[in-house]
Amino acid sequence: MAKKAKRAAPRRRKKKASARRWISGRFLAKVLAVGLVAMAAGLIYLDALVQERFDSHVWQLPARVYARPVELYPGRVLSRADMLKMLELMRYRQAPGAPTAGSYSVNGNQLIIHTRGFRDSDGGEPSQRLNLRLGGGEIAALQAGQGGSLARLEPMQIGSIHPGHSEDRVYVPLDRVPPLMIEMLLATEDQDFYEHHGVSLRGLARAMLANIKSGRLVQGGSTLTQQLVKNFWLTQDRTLLRKLVELPMAVLLELHYSKDQILEAYINEVYLGQDGARSIHGMGLGAQFYFGRPLEELEPHQLATLVGLLKGPSWYDPRRRPERSLKRRNTVLQVARQQGALSEEELHRFSKRGLEVVPRGESPLYAFPAFIDLVRRQLARDYPPEVLGVDGLRIHSTLDVLAQLAAEKALRDHLESKDPGGKNHLNGAVVVVAPTQGDVLAVVSNRRSREHGFNRALDAVRPIGSLVKPAVVLAALEQPKKYSLATIVNDEPLSVPLRNNEPWQPKNFDNKSLGPMPIHDVLVRSRNQALARLGMDVGLNKVAETLKTLGVQRDIPLYPSILLGSLGLTPFEVAMMYQPLATGGFSTPLRSITDVLDKDGQPIARYPITTEEVLPQEPVFVLQQAMQDVVDQGTGRGVRAKLPASVKVAGKTGTSDNFRDAWFAGFSANHLAVVWVGRDDNSPAGVSGSSGAVPVWAQLMASLPQRSLSQKPPAGVEWVWMDPSGTLVSGEGCDGARRYPMLPASIPEEADRCGSRDGDKKKGVLQWFKGWFD
Amino acid sequence: MVQGLVRLMLLAAMLAGCATTPTTGTGGSHGSSSSSSSSSSRPSGEPRQQPVDARADLQGSPALALLDRAEGARNQGNMSAAGRYLERALNMEPDSSWVYRQLARLRLEEGDAQSAEGLALRALRLAPYNPGYQAELWELVATARERQGDKEGARDARKRAQELRRGTA
Repeated sequence: MAKKAKRAAPRRRKKKASARRWISGRFLAKVLAVGLVAMAAGLIYLDALVQERFDSHVWQLPARVYARPVELYPGRVLSRADMLKMLELMRYRQAPGAPTAGSYSVNGNQLIIHTRGFRDSDGGEPSQRLNLRLGGGEIAALQAGQGGSLARLEPMQIGSIHPGHSEDRVYVPLDRVPPLMIEMLLATEDQDFYEHHGVSLRGLARAMLANIKSGRLVQGGSTLTQQLVKNFWLTQDRTLLRKLVELPMAVLLELHYSKDQILEAYINEVYLGQDGARSIHGMGLGAQFYFGRPLEELEPHQLATLVGLLKGPSWYDPRRRPERSLKRRNTVLQVARQQGALSEEELHRFSKRGLEVVPRGESPLYAFPAFIDLVRRQLARDYPPEVLGVDGLRIHSTLDVLAQLAAEKALRDHLESKDPGGKNHLNGAVVVVAPTQGDVLAVVSNRRSREHGFNRALDAVRPIGSLVKPAVVLAALEQPKKYSLATIVNDEPLSVPLRNNEPWQPKNFDNKSLGPMPIHDVLVRSRNQALARLGMDVGLNKVAETLKTLGVQRDIPLYPSILLGSLGLTPFEVAMMYQPLATGGFSTPLRSITDVLDKDGQPIARYPITTEEVLPQEPVFVLQQAMQDVVDQGTGRGVRAKLPASVKVAGKTGTSDNFRDAWFAGFSANHLAVVWVGRDDNSPAGVSGSSGAVPVWAQLMASLPQRSLSQKPPAGVEWVWMDPSGTLVSGEGCDGARRYPMLPASIPEEADRCGSRDGDKKKGVLQWFKGWFD
Repeated sequence: MVQGLVRLMLLAAMLAGCATTPTTGTGGSHGSSSSSSSSSSRPSGEPRQQPVDARADLQGSPALALLDRAEGARNQGNMSAAGRYLERALNMEPDSSWVYRQLARLRLEEGDAQSAEGLALRALRLAPYNPGYQAELWELVATARERQGDKEGARDARKRAQELRRGTA
C-alpha cells in the first residue's frame, strides 16, 4: 500500500511537472502573444487618444468677452480721475515716457499713453503712443500716432464664456510667449527638453541624485512632455496605472508633434491655481489672475513667480504663501542666471522686487457677472454651447466700465445706508442703457456686485407700480382731441366692479383724495385714484396696446389693477419699455454685443443697430415734458439733490403695494437707467420709489456725463397758456393760467376772456402751422 | 448672402428678447411718421434753409474722420467695417442727422430694408431745415418701404418728397 503509494507519487509528480512544462511552454507563449496584441491595441488606443485630444484640446478656448473700447477724441467728456481710473483698471504701468505697450506717464493734465492695440470689425487699432491733454472735464487735445486725433484704448476683457464653467484660458501662441519665460521654464523643469524623446533618463538620474543628496523628494524628473500628458489626459492621482500609461503616451506625443507644439500646449495648459470653482490653466490666464496683465507685459521677476508655481500651485501660492513663493521665485531667477538667461545685475535687481501680485478679486475679469450673464444669454441664441466653448470667439460687448462701476457704487452706497450690512436683506438691481442705440452699458443685480447667483436685473419679475403711469398718460395723449396734459381728472375714490371678485377700490399713497387736477399733476404727483379714473376712461385695451407698443412682451391681463402697475416686469424689461419714451418714439432692441470675432481677430458677425418708429413724436415729447416735472417738482425731485437743474432729465417713481418694490426709471438724452430695490422673498421692504430708488438713480446719473433732453418742441407741438378748466385757451398772467405743451388737435378753439387776445394770436400761429401741413 | 444678412438681422432683433413691436400696434408707424417727421426744426419766423452735408452737420467733429473711413470701407465692399465706423461716429454725435442717413443707406445696401427705414426716419427727425435734404430722406424711406413690400407706405413717403421738392422749386 505504502509502496503503491510511493510509486504513485512520482507518477503524479511527473504529471504535475509535465503540466508545468506545458504552462511554461506553449501556454506562456500564447499569453505573451495575447499580451503583445493587447499592448499593441493599448498603444494604438493611446495613440488615438493622444492625437485626438491634443488636436482638439489645444484649440479648446472659451469665448472671451470684452467691454467697449474707450474711445478717445477731443471734446469727449472725461475727467482726469476717470481717465486714470481706466488706466489703472487696465493695468497700465506708470513709466516715464510710456516706453512700452501698456504703460503711461502723467504730468499734470498731460498724459502719454502707450496703447496695446487690438483687432476689431473695422480693422482695430495699432499699438501706439498717444499724447493727451485733459482740461475742463474733457479731452482738450489728442495727438495719435499718424497725426490723427482719434484713438481707442484696447477693450478690457471682462470675462469668458465656457459651457463647463470650471476651466478658463487665455491662449498665448508660442511666438508671443516671452523668450525669458521659456528659458526659465526649461532651466527649472526640463533641461534636456530639446534632446529627449518624451522621457529623459538623464533627467531621471539627475532628479534621483538630487533627491538622494537632499534626502527628500525635491525633483520629479518628469519631462515637460510627461507633465503635459498628466495635465492633459490623466488625473492628478498617483496611481500605478497612470504611471504605466504616462511613459508611452509621452513618447507617442513626441512622435506626432514637434517640440514647439508640445511647448506651446504645455504653456497654455499647465495648472497654476484655483479661483474658487475656476481652475487657472495656462500662463496667459495665470498672468491675468496673479498680475492682472497680459503675459507679454510681465517683468522677469513676475515670469519667475509663474514658473515657480509649477512645482506646486497651492504650496507656492503667492497670495496665501508669499514668503514661500518669494523664495521659490528667487530660486528660479538664480537658475535662469546660471543658464545665462539673466545678467548678474538683472538677477540682483529682480531678486529685490516684491511679488507684486494684484489682490484677488480686483481684476476686471469676472467682475461683472450680471452683465456677462446677459451676454451669455444673447449669444446662446446664435451659438450652440459647443461652439462657444471651443472656438475662442472674441465677443465685443457694449459694457461701459465707468457706467458699470458708477451703477454698482450707487446701489451699494444707498443700500448700505438704508440697510447696513444687509441684515434686512434689502437688495436691488440697476440697468443702464444708451437709449438711442439700445446699447446696454451696465447691469447690476446685487448690492455685492461681484457675487454670482440670482440675476435680479434679468430675472426678478416684480410689479412695476407707478412706472406704468406714463404709459396710461401716453395712451390718453394719443387721442389729442380728447386729452391733453391740461385735461382735468378727478382724484376721488372710485369703485370698479369686478366679475367674481370684490370691487376694485384703489387708494392713494397718502390715503387722501385731492379732487380735480390736470393730467399733468396726476402724473407728477403720482395720484392713484385720478390715474385709475383716467385709465378707465381711456380704456384698458388702449392702455394694454400702448404697453405693447412700448415693447412689453408679457401677457397683459385686462384687469383695472394694471393701471396702477400690478403688471410684473424685470428691470431689464422696464428699460426696454422706457426706451421709446427716451428716444421720442423709436424702439431699438437692447443689445449687449456689437461684434463677434474669431480667435485671430477676424470679424464673424455684427450686431448692428436697428430701429423702428413705433410712436409719433408729438405725444412722446409732451409726455417727456411732464416726466421732467416729475423730477423737477414731483415724486422724483430727490434727484435734484445730486443732479444740477441745468441737466434736463425725465423719469417716474414706482412703489408697489405695502412698499415691497421701489422703482425709478428715467433718462437724459444719453443715458436711460432703471433702478429696483426690494427683497427677494417679496416681503415688504419699507422703501418707496422716492426713498429707495431715486437716490441710487440720482447718484448714478450724476457720476456720468449727461446730455440734457432737448427742450425744442417738434413741429406740431406748441406751448399754450390754458385756463384752469383745461378747456379754454388763456394767456400769460391770467388768473390760474398754466402753460402746457399741446398738440394742435388738443388746443381748444375757444379762449377765456383774459386770454382772448393772446389766444387769437396763438390761434394765428396755429393757422400758420396748419397752413404748412395742408 | 442676403439670406445670411436677413438672418443676422432677425437674430439681432431677437436679441434681448426684444422683438420689434408688431405692426398692428397702435398708431401704426407709417401713419404716425407722415405727421411726425416733417421739417422737424423749422424755426418760427423766416425759415432759412440750411445746407446739409457731412461737413455742415458735423462741423469740426472727430466723427468726420470716421465717416471718411466708413466711406472708404464701403467702397471696398467691406460693409461690416463701414457699419462699425458709422456706429462709432454715432456714439460721438448721437444727434447727427447725417450719420443716421449714412447708416440708413448702408443698411439698405446690405439688404436690411426695415432697419434702413427706421434709421432714415430718425435722420428726418434730426434733420435741419432743408427741404431738398428732407426730400432725399423721404425717397430713402420710400425705397426702404418698397423693398419691404409696403406699397402704400412707399407712395406716402414719395408724395412727401415731391411736396418738399415742389416747395423748393
